[in-house]
Order: sequence, then C-alpha cells, then structure tokens
Amino acid sequence: MIEPSLTVTLDGHRGAYRPGEILSGQYQLDGAQSDQVEALEVSVLWYTQGKGDEDLAVHFFKRFSKDHRDQIDARHPGRFSTLLPNSPLSYEGMILKIRWCVRVRLFLIGGRELVDERPFQLGHIPAAKSVPP
Amino acid sequence: MARPFRFYVKKRGTRSTTSQALGSAALAIFFAALFFAGVGLLSRILVTLIIPEWRSNHQFREATGLVLKRHISQHPDGSENYRPEILIRYELPGGTAYETWAYDVTRVYSSGRSDKQAIVDQFGVGRRYPCWYDPLNPQTVVLVRGYTWYPWLISLFPLSFITVGGGGLVYSIFAWGKSAERRAALTARATQLELFESATPSAKEYPSIPGDANITNSPGTTLAYRLPVSSSSTWVLATAMVVALVVNAAAAVFAVMAVRSHLRGEPDWVLTLFVVPWLAIGVAAVMYFLRQLVLASTIGPTTVEISDHPFRPGQQYDAFLSQSGRLTMKSLNLLLVCEEKATFQQGTNTRTEVRRVLEEPLVERHDFAIKAGAPLEVRLSLSVPQGAMHSFKSGHNEVNWRLLVRGDVADWTDYERSFPLVVHPPRDGSDGP
Repeated sequence: MIEPSLTVTLDGHRGAYRPGEILSGQYQLDGAQSDQVEALEVSVLWYTQGKGDEDLAVHFFKRFSKDHRDQIDARHPGRFSTLLPNSPLSYEGMILKIRWCVRVRLFLIGGRELVDERPFQLGHIPAAKSVPP
Repeated sequence: MARPFRFYVKKRGTRSTTSQALGSAALAIFFAALFFAGVGLLSRILVTLIIPEWRSNHQFREATGLVLKRHISQHPDGSENYRPEILIRYELPGGTAYETWAYDVTRVYSSGRSDKQAIVDQFGVGRRYPCWYDPLNPQTVVLVRGYTWYPWLISLFPLSFITVGGGGLVYSIFAWGKSAERRAALTARATQLELFESATPSAKEYPSIPGDANITNSPGTTLAYRLPVSSSSTWVLATAMVVALVVNAAAAVFAVMAVRSHLRGEPDWVLTLFVVPWLAIGVAAVMYFLRQLVLASTIGPTTVEISDHPFRPGQQYDAFLSQSGRLTMKSLNLLLVCEEKATFQQGTNTRTEVRRVLEEPLVERHDFAIKAGAPLEVRLSLSVPQGAMHSFKSGHNEVNWRLLVRGDVADWTDYERSFPLVVHPPRDGSDGP
C-alpha cells in the first residue's frame, strides 16, 4: 500500500516576494484516493518565532471539504493564488522572528493529518542587531 | 516534504511536546468540570438559600406562635458557629397544631454567640409572636422574614466558575477539530466584521501595524503633530500616590494592632515582625511619591513635534524638541529607539522581555541651564534608517518605535520621557538599499 503524501510548490520556485505581488503555486496529493480524504486546507500565513508566545495570522485561507472533489483530486494538482499584503514583512529580529509560509493541510478519514508547508520571504528587511545596554 | 500528523509534538509552537488532540480534550474536560461545579454550587445556593428566602417573603402564610422554649444551637461539627432556635406552637386555620424549632428560613450557622443571644432574648417564653408557615409544608415556619446579603455574595464564587468554565468550554467546542489556520481565519473574519465600521484605511492597508490616530490627533504649534507622552507624569504621580496611601493604610492598621498587643501586656511578636517590612515599604512608597512630585513640579513639560506621520524608512522628517522648567542640566539627549517586545507564559506567570535593536542619537546637549519662561528648543531633521523593520503588533509580540528624551539634572536626578511613533514599510515596497 502506498503511503499518502502531499507536496506544495511555489510557481517559479521563488523564495522571496515584494508586498503587493501575486503569490501562486500548487499542491499535489499522491497515494490517496478521493474517498480517503475528509478535507483539505490551503493557507498563506505568517507566524512568530522567538521569545514570545507564538502568534499566527492567516492572510489567505481556503477549506475544501470532501464535496469539492476537483480540488482534492490526486490525479490533478490543486492551484492557489493570492495578492500579498503590505505587512507584516518577514523579520529576523533578536527575540522576535516573523515567518511567512504557504501551508497545506490534508485531513484523512479516521483523523490522520498530512501537512506540507513552503516558507517564503515577504520584503527584504536585514536581520536586526542588538544594541548594547 | 509532507509530514504525517504527529501524536506527540513539542511544547510551544514548533517546540510543543504534547498531543494537541489530548491537550484539547483535557482542556475541554477541565472547563466542563469547572462549569458544572459552578452550576452545582449555584443550584445548591438557589435551592437552600435564595428560593426559600423568596418563598418565605411571598408565599408563606401568617399565623401566631406561642414561644415554648428558646436556646442557642451550636453547629454539629463543634465549630464556633451558632444560630438562634425558638420552639413555637402554632395552629393552622383548620385547627391542626404544630410544635417546631424555628427562627429564619435559611437556618444558617454563623460566628458570634452574643449576637444570637441578643436575638433569643427578644422572644419571651409564654408570649405570642407573629410567625409565617409554608402552606406546602406547614412544619416549616419562620419568626423573621426579609432578605440576607450573604447568599448573593457567595453566589459570586460559583458564578466565576460558570463564567470561566463556560467561556473555556465554548472556546474548546469552537476550536475542537479545527486546525490553527482555520481558527485564525475564523477569528480574523469575526474581528473584521467587528471592526468593519471602525477600522481605518491605514489599518486595512497595513495589517498588524498599530494605528496612529492617537498620535496625529494633537496638532503641534511649530510642526504638524505634537506627539503624546507614553506614560504621562500625571498618571505616574497618581499611581504613586494611590500605592503610597494603600500601603501606608495597611501598615497603619497592622501597626496599631501590634502596639495594642504590647500595651495589653500580651505582645504579638509574629505580628510585630510582620509590621516592620510593611512600614519599610510604606516609607519607600512615600519617598517614591515625593520624588515623582518633585520631578513633576520642577522638571517642566517636554514636548516633541514632528512634521509628518507615520514615518517611513529612508525619508527625512523635521522634529522639534522643547524642554521647559528651572533646571541646571548635566545632559539632555533625544534618541530614536526601536525595541522588540515579547510576552510569554512561564509557569503561571506572564513575563515580558524587551530588546533594543536600534538606538540613534539625534540631540546631545551637555552642561546648560533652562530658565523659567525660556525653554530649551531644538529643531532637527531625522530619518528612520533604510531597511529598518516597521512597527508591528500581534497578541504576544511587538516592534515599537519611539523618540526618547533622557535628561540628567545636575546634582539631582535623571529622567526619561517617551514619545511613541508608528513606522510603516516603504510606500513603493522597496525594503532596503
């Protein structure tokens, strides 16, 4: 039996975008039959890392239930596209980092979940440096 | 690469080490237990105290009772709690007679034997008094009616359980089986609906960047906007005064109790030792208040005005600094500051850490005097460095910009006054050199 897998790719395999640009890409589901799938979620989101508790906000979110067979068909890749916002920009701070990514989450019948995500950079903010006290 | 659902994940974010499904279930069970405990307690208070009081006032029927005996009853567990009990004989309209120990409908025991003795003494044996019996259960009779305050007060306890437990349960049900992204999307949609009318175009155009309405609502006299001070000295002074009053009032109460124990010849040394640090804290609070009072009255207002807002990296802005008062200054600095602020849970405590990532001196003055009616006034040009991070605010993380005035008064004290700014990303989307 083939283990189900999920792969996300960004068009042009780009890793960096400017605010206001269009981000597009696709996700491919392999090894799973349509009747094994409960739902699929596509998100373009940012989350924080660092000293503080994690914050997460979704810029683009689509959920396809098992009724949307065309979007969760293992034979054809699903596509997504969104206009990127002006903020927040990706940031590599001292105690705070802001990361952007495309995350696709597949819910299989029986409660199993598959997740794949593709990080990307929004804007070009140089890494912060600590100021000596 | 795709990764399967992990039963065990790490503690926080990508460091979470517990099962999210089990965690959600445990949290839901905890909130449900809290909610139902609150419902149970509140039901008990309603059934045993509040409803009987209401019924005794509205549904009980009046009769006349003959006092046969009276005494003070101590709680069966032997604690120092009492209630008055009067044995009365009364007759119903049909002629049926009852003998019952009675007083109020709640039959609650409470401390203070002398209070109960005074109540018992009001009822003379062999005399007749009005009483009220329950038509559904005529053996239940009371000699006093009215409402007491304590059922309502103790209701606050289960009500807090119901509020916290119910809120948590609703959230657990809302979050059940939903991914973090779906929860965030639903929350964002609800927030957008809520802020549909109030959200400014700037907030919609620049998500996660704080609004600047509070910064641009005060016009300047020299430049376009006068910046607000982040913590006004008036608030600091008022807070210092309240803290000093509260701490010293508590210290005074404890001190009087301790002194009385010594005057009685029965010194309470534990209380006396407890009072000493309280008095020390009280003195420190008064000293701090006096220092703030002197600071507020001697060091005059600091004003900072700017030519435009919000700031954008790489662009030039005019600024105006004014410091009034009657001071001999060792130094006065105006700095442009950017800080990261992170809030996190450590055990049961919420902690905040701030890390400064940019500090740019704009004005530096040394050894000068400020005279009454002749404030120090400095006009300058400033810019946020190209490639700097914009202002940012989310639930637990922030990037804050501010202009910081740091003064050092000769032979006396130093002070800081902070003026928040909002920095947007560059308009054309170019983020660096």
